[in-house]
Amino acid sequence: MDTIAKAHGEDQHDHPHGWRRYLYSTNHKDIGTMYLAFALLGGLVGGVLSIGMRLELMHPGLQFFHDSHMFNVFTTAHGLIMIFFMVMPAMIGGFGNWMVPLMIGAPDMAFPRMNNISFWLLPASFTLLIISLFVEGEPGAPGVAAGWTIYAPLSTTGHPGPAVDFAILSLHLAGASSILGAINFITTIFNMRAPGMTMHKMPLFVWSQLVTVFLILLAMPVLAGAITMLLTDRNFGTTFFTPSGGGDPLLFQHLFWFFGHPEVYILIVPGFGMVSQIVATFARKPVFGYLGMAYAMVAIGGIGFVVWAHHMYTVGMSTAVQAYFVVATMVIAVPTGVKIFSWVATMWGGSLEFKTPMLWAIGFIFLFTVGGVTGVVLANAGVDRSLQDTYYVVAHFHYVLSLGAVFTIFAGWYYWFPKMSGYMYSEPIGKLHFWLTFIGVNIVFFPQHFLGLSGMPRRIADYPDAFAGWNLVSSIGSYISGVGALVFFFGVAHAFMRKQRAGDNPWGAGATTLEWTLPSPPPFHQYNELPLIK
Amino acid sequence: MGMSRISPQRRRDVLVAGACGVFVAAMIGAAYAAVPLYNWFCRTTGFGGTPQVATAAPADILDRKLKVRFDANVAGGLPWRFEPEQNSIEVKVGEVVTVSYRVVNESARETVGIASYNVSPPTVGAYFSKINCFCFTDQRLKAGETRDMAVVFFVAPDIVKDSEQDGVETITLSYTMYPARQTEPVRGENGAAAGRS
Repeated sequence: MDTIAKAHGEDQHDHPHGWRRYLYSTNHKDIGTMYLAFALLGGLVGGVLSIGMRLELMHPGLQFFHDSHMFNVFTTAHGLIMIFFMVMPAMIGGFGNWMVPLMIGAPDMAFPRMNNISFWLLPASFTLLIISLFVEGEPGAPGVAAGWTIYAPLSTTGHPGPAVDFAILSLHLAGASSILGAINFITTIFNMRAPGMTMHKMPLFVWSQLVTVFLILLAMPVLAGAITMLLTDRNFGTTFFTPSGGGDPLLFQHLFWFFGHPEVYILIVPGFGMVSQIVATFARKPVFGYLGMAYAMVAIGGIGFVVWAHHMYTVGMSTAVQAYFVVATMVIAVPTGVKIFSWVATMWGGSLEFKTPMLWAIGFIFLFTVGGVTGVVLANAGVDRSLQDTYYVVAHFHYVLSLGAVFTIFAGWYYWFPKMSGYMYSEPIGKLHFWLTFIGVNIVFFPQHFLGLSGMPRRIADYPDAFAGWNLVSSIGSYISGVGALVFFFGVAHAFMRKQRAGDNPWGAGATTLEWTLPSPPPFHQYNELPLIK
Repeated sequence: MGMSRISPQRRRDVLVAGACGVFVAAMIGAAYAAVPLYNWFCRTTGFGGTPQVATAAPADILDRKLKVRFDANVAGGLPWRFEPEQNSIEVKVGEVVTVSYRVVNESARETVGIASYNVSPPTVGAYFSKINCFCFTDQRLKAGETRDMAVVFFVAPDIVKDSEQDGVETITLSYTMYPARQTEPVRGENGAAAGRS
């Protein structure tokens, strides 16, 4: 097979080599690889920032930061980087670009040149965000400390320096990148499926990408509008969010969360798709309830647009409005439950093989359920009144995102690494990575529930001595996770140095999607003859 | 390149992408449309503690009594002193009351201010109606000038029909005086100070 791959590759003399191959790339696999590499870089920077925060919070008092401003610059950058420069590039740009065309039997994306632009907007965007860390934000202090939510007026009058402007422009570029990517995916999935690949035969990963990119198409422009208003409020004297001119800062919160809530589904739904592929592969069974799984994602995405004010229970809404948002939010647990139970049912009676991708997938199912349950707790307006802005919220969204989304990324990474690189990773190193991370992140985030319940607020650099115990435990957990990340990078390097051939399909009969019919790595251009799906 | 050279497949791609592009533009438009819509929504429903504007007194006065507190703030960049005549009064639901606020320009130059306002708890906005208020217009004060300004308001009798308001005993009417229509960007002359004081 290897020789066939080479032969295919040598047929294609029309593509540039060296740095031009990547800078000018219009190849979905090369662009996907660049997205993944970019996400690794983003994850590294975001991860270093988070360990910086845990170092500070390890003991009461200020040890590493001179003031809370700089600490909040870290929290802000950590959030923005992990969302826009790690999870989204990895899941949508990386795995999406690589696998969607392969899985639907398409030769490439519909608009290859636009795909190139989508990627190359991201380094520019990331650069702007990094610049924002070093220019003045609050008077006399560098960086944006307004949180990833950049609420006005803290992000307007509270940050007179240009740091927020840089961050806003960074988000504009990241948003443009993901909107262009979304248009590309929609066109590809609608128009370029191989003969016989009907919508209801598409692998669930493709379904998950389709739902995700529709969420991007709906939500991202609203963020673009809201932050443009922030920008003009800051620089051109408009008063969208300024009471003195008749504006209302609360409007920003509504606009932000109209984007923000779908955004968290943008971060997790591709993971649902990956986990479905992986669980089916390693249980050697087709996924249980295929249509239910597909439409559960559609339902989650749809309902995700009508629940935004559950992030804002404390702003003074009437009981009736709060009751609506409570109920709507809890309804999301129903399609989510459909997914969880279907994964379990897929494993039930299956011929289970606990390879590294499967460990990550099962770890995801467990941890995402924990985060989902605390989400239902927080959905209650009455409970939220006491838990708003505490570490309970931090624990909740890290269980669904840091442990949920990131676990699916690693699951997908180990699952498709042999296909993408052609090399097999080392199982023992992969499993060590999994167990270190699983233990580490649980030690980080489980105690944060206790801290939140006893009232420790988010976004503070210092805290009363009463919170010292669990903060110490939490910090130790983050160092264990950090070691896990090092094992991951070592494992990647090890796989590339060992060069153990993976073969077309290292996973056996359970892996039924089209990408496993191709050589590993796939030829530069695949499907010169379109596959026919029965 | 003429249209004839574009394949039907390509045309379908451009069609889908074009539809997506129109959709994105519409969503950006919707974000901006939310600004006047939200403003209208708050004024109409009293959402977020937005008091109502009334043209006539209510028909009847009820026995239920409420305490109304008055709060006055001055935003940074405005050299004014601003305070209510009384800190609080008792009113009957439906009774039209006139209260007075005093504002003093403590600087040696003419300045213009305008007050933003709301009531707390935020859910009583729908029942707190003003017939007249100094906050409806700009206030222009000469150097050292003192002015007494009136607010004419009532608590709408409908409040007793809303069971959610049964526990309300006190309503706070709050004003913040701002320099009128900030035309400078935030980092202009009253930049940092405005947010911090």
